[in-house]
Amino acid sequence: MLKPFALARRAVLAAGLLAATMTPALAADPAETFVSQNIQKGLALLNNKSLTTQQKRDQFEQFLLGLADVKRIADFTLGQYRRSAPPADVAAFEVAFQNYAVAVYQSYFSKYAGQTLKVVGSTQRAPTDYIVATQMIDPSDRSGQAPLEVDFRVRTDTAKPVLTDVALATSSGGQVWLSLTQRDQFVAFLGQNNGNVKLLITHLSDLAKQFKS
Amino acid sequence: MRGVGALFFGLCGLALAGCAAPSPEAMAANDPYEPANRQVFALNQQLEHIFFLPTLHRYQSLPQGLRTGVHNALRNLAGPTIFVNDVLQAQSERAERAAARFVVNSSIGLGGIFDPATPAGLPYHGEDFGQTLAVWGAGEGPYLMLPLLGPSNPRDATGLAVDTFVIDPTNYFHIEGHFWWDAGRQYLNLLDLRSQSFEALQGVERSSVDYYAALRSLFRQTRNAEIRNGAPTPAAELPDF
Repeated sequence: MLKPFALARRAVLAAGLLAATMTPALAADPAETFVSQNIQKGLALLNNKSLTTQQKRDQFEQFLLGLADVKRIADFTLGQYRRSAPPADVAAFEVAFQNYAVAVYQSYFSKYAGQTLKVVGSTQRAPTDYIVATQMIDPSDRSGQAPLEVDFRVRTDTAKPVLTDVALATSSGGQVWLSLTQRDQFVAFLGQNNGNVKLLITHLSDLAKQFKS
Repeated sequence: MRGVGALFFGLCGLALAGCAAPSPEAMAANDPYEPANRQVFALNQQLEHIFFLPTLHRYQSLPQGLRTGVHNALRNLAGPTIFVNDVLQAQSERAERAAARFVVNSSIGLGGIFDPATPAGLPYHGEDFGQTLAVWGAGEGPYLMLPLLGPSNPRDATGLAVDTFVIDPTNYFHIEGHFWWDAGRQYLNLLDLRSQSFEALQGVERSSVDYYAALRSLFRQTRNAEIRNGAPTPAAELPDF
């Protein structure tokens, strides 16, 4: 459903009518370009066989921190505890979350290292809030199955676009947003442990170590 | 079969009977029976490790072609139920596709072992009575962790019972040992589903600080997308960052 919009948009651009015909839908292009250029770089990085495991890990960390607004995601995943927790605990949580996210996302994206990303369209949720729809194309896949659909949520309210969430399609036709899932489990964990953010930090640090070992 | 149903709902009632006052987090997550649900979840995990995983590992060691055949046949057996629910949801195009798939795969696909319908332009889609109830406007109700069956809610548990005991056409055929036919089919369904999601769920468990809450979130998001027939999450329903 999104594809025709993307094609129409490119046709309008090619005709040099951009300035005259600017619409809200057209304004989605910066988010699409951002995803198209950067995610492909990340996949190429994970697929780079000339790098050692440590080099790959270090470069992926730099890549992710340059791409995603990790502090904003961390604060979101704390839910209502973001307001009630001591500022020092929130700051420590942001650091722990960053280490955890780098380790976990590297693990997630490594599975798609040999694939290419194709942007198929985007929708604008708010003036600075976009959802970019993509497909992971596996050149070696001969199964005839539909490619994996991955949506990226991009905010453009800062100096440069930033990634705030990723949604993966499931085999049953479902869709799962990662930050939303993390918020649900962190809030549940804190609810089970009297809102003890320090305990959550310890837990996240342990998980990050496990993923890196 | 009635005995099994009574035992199952009895276990559910027993699990819910010992509920303490729900926490604010449990209420916010629409999980007022969270303490009981967590107990059932712990029981399910133990049962899975003792009884289910050894069988699952054996099943996964079978040739891929054989497992694909089982997967195709199970999907084909669900075809009539999917068709009826498509009709109940007034989804004529999807109902036609479900019917055509069933005819093609039951005949050319040798009883559903092969899936010639998909390359012929008739891809599979799922549908069940829980989704039909949702389309008719029924709310999901509180989150429930069902013994043996896992994440659910009153709407989807009702839907599962209606699909299994009312809509499924095999209820209306005389099958010798019908109970074992049903039980075997459900067990194979679970094996098939778990073998497909085993690696992904292992990843979720490994990266979770609270596996129970992670599964609850994944179940809700996935289920809502299934009810939307795979359409992306409406932008207005996404939270603000």
